[in-house]
Amino acid sequence: MSDPSQLSRRGFLGGASVTAATSALLDSAAAHAASGAEPVSGATPITLTLNGAKKTLTVEPRTTLAAALRDSLGLTGTKVVCDRGACSACTVHVDGTPMLGCTLLAIELEGRKIVTIEGLAKGDALHPVQQAFIEQDAMQCGFCTPGMVMSCAGLLTKNKKPTEADARDAIAGNLCRCGTYPKVVAAVLQASGQKPPPTLELASTALAPDGQGRLLGVVGTSLSRGEAPPAGEPQAWGTNAQLRLVGKPTPRIDGRQKVTGAARYTADVRLPGMLYARRVVSVHPHAKVKSIDTSAAEALPGVKAVHVVERTLEGAKLRDPSQVKGERYPTIRYAGQAVAAVAATTPELADQAARLVKVEYEPLPFTVDLEEARGASAPLVFPGPTEQPPTAGGGGAPKGLPQKGNVRGPDVKSRGDVKKGLAEAKLKLSGDYRTQVQTHTPLEAHGVVADWRDDGLTVYVSTQSTASARNELATVFELDAGKVRIISEFMGGGFGAKFGAGTYGVLATHLSRAAKAPVRLVLDREEEHVSAGNRPATVQHLELGATENGTLTALSVQSYGTGGVSTGSGAGFFAERLYATPNFRSEHSDVFTHAGPAAAFRAPGNVQGAFALEQLIDELAEKLGVDPLELRERLDVGEDPRDPQREARRLERKLGAERFGWARRKAPGSDGAVVKRGVGVAQSLWGRFVDMDSSCDVRINRDGSVELLSSVMDIGTGTRTALALVVAEELGLASAADVTLRIGDTHHPVGPSSGGSKTLVGVASVARNAAADARQQFLAEVAGGFGVPATALELVNGEVRKQGEPKGKPFKKVAAGMKREQLTAHAQRKDDYGGNPKSGYGGVQFAEVSVDTETGVVKVERVVAVHDCGRPLNPLAVQSQVNGGVIHGISFALFEERRLDPRSGRMLNANLDQYKVLGSRDTPHIETVLLEHYQGLTSVDANGIGEPANIATAAAVANAVYNAVGVRLRELPMTPRAVLTALKGARS
Amino acid sequence: MNAFEWVAPKTTEQVSEAARAQGAVLKAGGVDLLDRLKNNLEAPSRVVSLQALKGLGGIAGDAKAGLELGALVTLAQLAGDARVRAAAPKLAEACWHVATPQVRNMATLGGNLAQRTHCWYFRSEHDVCRRKGGSTCFAQRGDNEHHALFGNGVCASVHASTVAPMLLALEAVLTVENGKSSRQLRLEDFFVPPEKDLSRENVLQPGDVITRVRVPPSRAKTGYLKQTAKESFDWPLAVAAVAVELDGATCKRAAVVLGAAAPVPLRARAAEAALVGKPFGPDSIREAAKAAVQGASPLSGNGYRVPVFEVVVRRALEQALEAKS
Repeated sequence: MSDPSQLSRRGFLGGASVTAATSALLDSAAAHAASGAEPVSGATPITLTLNGAKKTLTVEPRTTLAAALRDSLGLTGTKVVCDRGACSACTVHVDGTPMLGCTLLAIELEGRKIVTIEGLAKGDALHPVQQAFIEQDAMQCGFCTPGMVMSCAGLLTKNKKPTEADARDAIAGNLCRCGTYPKVVAAVLQASGQKPPPTLELASTALAPDGQGRLLGVVGTSLSRGEAPPAGEPQAWGTNAQLRLVGKPTPRIDGRQKVTGAARYTADVRLPGMLYARRVVSVHPHAKVKSIDTSAAEALPGVKAVHVVERTLEGAKLRDPSQVKGERYPTIRYAGQAVAAVAATTPELADQAARLVKVEYEPLPFTVDLEEARGASAPLVFPGPTEQPPTAGGGGAPKGLPQKGNVRGPDVKSRGDVKKGLAEAKLKLSGDYRTQVQTHTPLEAHGVVADWRDDGLTVYVSTQSTASARNELATVFELDAGKVRIISEFMGGGFGAKFGAGTYGVLATHLSRAAKAPVRLVLDREEEHVSAGNRPATVQHLELGATENGTLTALSVQSYGTGGVSTGSGAGFFAERLYATPNFRSEHSDVFTHAGPAAAFRAPGNVQGAFALEQLIDELAEKLGVDPLELRERLDVGEDPRDPQREARRLERKLGAERFGWARRKAPGSDGAVVKRGVGVAQSLWGRFVDMDSSCDVRINRDGSVELLSSVMDIGTGTRTALALVVAEELGLASAADVTLRIGDTHHPVGPSSGGSKTLVGVASVARNAAADARQQFLAEVAGGFGVPATALELVNGEVRKQGEPKGKPFKKVAAGMKREQLTAHAQRKDDYGGNPKSGYGGVQFAEVSVDTETGVVKVERVVAVHDCGRPLNPLAVQSQVNGGVIHGISFALFEERRLDPRSGRMLNANLDQYKVLGSRDTPHIETVLLEHYQGLTSVDANGIGEPANIATAAAVANAVYNAVGVRLRELPMTPRAVLTALKGARS
Repeated sequence: MNAFEWVAPKTTEQVSEAARAQGAVLKAGGVDLLDRLKNNLEAPSRVVSLQALKGLGGIAGDAKAGLELGALVTLAQLAGDARVRAAAPKLAEACWHVATPQVRNMATLGGNLAQRTHCWYFRSEHDVCRRKGGSTCFAQRGDNEHHALFGNGVCASVHASTVAPMLLALEAVLTVENGKSSRQLRLEDFFVPPEKDLSRENVLQPGDVITRVRVPPSRAKTGYLKQTAKESFDWPLAVAAVAVELDGATCKRAAVVLGAAAPVPLRARAAEAALVGKPFGPDSIREAAKAAVQGASPLSGNGYRVPVFEVVVRRALEQALEAKS
């Protein structure tokens, strides 16, 4: 405070009690303070109009509007994602114009009119844009949604009838990692009274054949009835056409919270006395920490705790830990590795304190290059062999593999004899492929709020597995699992990177314990890019042998990948399982580099594997003179010709080809224009994984309300709504909104991890089974009132009625007659009917691209994605995930790449403008076709879709680029540089 | 971000006075400034806001008289203004292509010209490059895909403004005030190449405030192209802004300006020479495009952008050829 009169005036006003007079005085004082020729500093009052009401608040000159809204006023609907004006998540209206909360200083908004997401609705009446967002399902995790809504609302005030292009332009700065752009555009059209074009096709609406057996096969082609479900299981459901709620496109039940900014994410949690933490990270990629001096940080007023990292959780660990025995501090193995953390009363103080921690390093030689790291003389990342078990989302590597230098492996999968198969082949093809490092870039960064109390630890975490976060913290702090409570109410995207509590979670917990106060630690965008996970880079060598009609005789994949300090950089099981071949061998080796740890990332390995294999298969088709789709028809066969997998894929190829217009495909490179167009296709295959830690309670209360409780989270995929649909269907309720979901809390029965697309595989049937049990209990309680046995009652359309009678009594009214206050049914996951089979599912994607051969710019114009995921519970949400998978795939194919500086080992583009994530104007027209595909495995038979939707896209785009220009790009991303280099190479 | 004091004067004179203090920086829209502050590139003791200044916000003029643009006009206002679109359509287009809608709603014309480079070494606190008092240009031997193709011997950064090339082609003139004094400055004389002075990217001295940008009336046919890899918010691979005045079918005067090519917006003199005095058509355009990239000195990772510049110049000139006036 440079001007003491300011201080005294504020002191006086703070004590004044006549509100009207105070407010008037404050206005003039504030006006004077924030705008004038006299400099002000320190805490300064400003007055502005916020969501229609005058508001006076105290800010520092450096306080951004976003920080003032979130931290001072508790208006946490405005999200901070990049904090650099590059993602528009923090969009608010200033005097009616969309602007960036992270890039405005609050002090300059004296007297201005600010509208935030919280102020857009008029009381209960949502803004038309908000309403349209809900109906179009223009949201997934919801973290970008407030910013998106504000941008779209801003557009509609200027332009009453925007075109699709206007809508794309208006949100061109709003990044969404889940891929909601197409539906945001549709929502803008709807909100302005226009009809968005249809983009979702449900492949068939056929009814099931009569009978009691469980359904098998693909609806519309091969549907049959198998055995009846095992004893104790609910009756087999018919097809979706025979159900009232399940299978109908349904707006998500938490949509309102997401479009109004009310949804509370981890970074939005504010607890009394909460401190803010910031990490101290290494600028060196490889170093010994010689000393850490925290005294200056500790001496800073407002700093409440400092903690030095004792061990890191991420990445591989030495098989023989004695090799680093006596090490006072963990060795630094990548730039950005945490060394310490501080907690202070404000975020600004925490930043300042972190910069005061003095760390003395002894820098060591390092390597951040995959090829270089393989060399015999490369600096070692680890001094000896390592191990790394997988997370709940995958990753890790098999135990006990050899490690030489930085190379760990190979991990070998083999059947038959590849050498023999190649020797017998009429045609032999090989190719080398490279894929880049892609960071997960969830819009909500990794973060926790840790609250250590004497009677237990409560941690709010942005996680894909409440259970794994709890277990990790319980282990590290030697607490009973029951004493650790994890809460993840809303979650802003993870894509595989958010399992466990992480080193950051452990740090926050230490700080909370030391400071005796809740501590919030949320990574900033740079930290998120650098240290919170990535899709590893790969170098893959493929060889295949085929007969003259295209049957594969052998396939081999040799790959090296780098997940930095972690393992798990393989090319997946894609090549092993996709096409039939008697002789197969894959050898994968992890190569350690001094770079941030990889994490499972949306179909880990398989996205990279598909990029390679599906291009090589296209090459084979060309060699054989066969249409690529026709070749896949020949190759995509299993031992059992009636394998439902193969059957689904066959139908997907057919439906996709028709819808896409595959017949228009021209010969590769035959387009004579400068901007050439081409089409490509690729297949997806994913495993069906079951998480046996899936359970839930379903309760019916005497007031007729119904609840489902489970620790499963909704990571944006729509789990809440899907489970509500299942329960509402089983209980005959009027809609999904009649079920209250209490999830994302380890106080509830354990739910599955959301990794491997296994959320609904695990918990959907459990929800139905619990609901079916609750239903029986309920009917038994109320049957007396109807004068019939419980078996003679049914629950339909929110009513209880005697079977065969047209009219019944409302569910709620009947519930009032319950003898008990509450009925609870618990169910937990059992094996699939007949045991958990090794099965899978997938899809086929078609892409159309244009390639500017002069600038090298590739644009994906259109994608048709045809997928099966068992029983689609909510096709609207499934479509949203398919859009997301496709958009992720294109972003990976064309734009994203982590750039590490070879000289410093640091990430050069750890932001959201130079790390390029696809935006609205780069999004193609996406059409989704969904199959209903039954395998009769559970009472619901639902599969996930997140990962299978992401696998084929980059490969389909690569094949389309080849079709356009006649030159193969075997390296990602397909940037202008890559395209021009390839074209130049082909010319010379 | 460090703590700083805040002042928002109402007159240019007061701004100049406040800004002459040691450690003071000016803030207009603040889009670039906040990025620098948050990245700890600068720790000013005082931020002088221009937002309370009166009279720096207007757009005046027309095609006949030329345009008089207040330095605090936002890029969104310029992109959407009917007078600008009529008098200098390609200037409006250049403004529209900047960053994102929200950024354009905040970023000012003056700020766009005065922003610092987005070289990723420059923007990293830990890389003390020549511009920050060090002895190395890390880009020259590092990852330089997005770096300069011309004039990169001392510093390989590219100037961040993609509007400046069009203003240069239109021969814009700045009014710069400092206290009671006011001077006119051709935009061409505004930018400072690194070989002249590494500590600055323009000639502004402490207390200097850009107050107006004048775009003189012009009969030139214009073209503008910002080529990016990604259509939604991306830094350019190449920018070309052209203005061609004809006498009948012959090119009388030509301005060909490259953006994202060098540490300053770059006039491609050889390209201009290839046009002047010749019939303006496909042949001279092809020659000019070729000439525009003559003398490029690509680094290890950015050579592919040389032919992209050639294409972008050619396409911008083709736009001009098809333009009505």
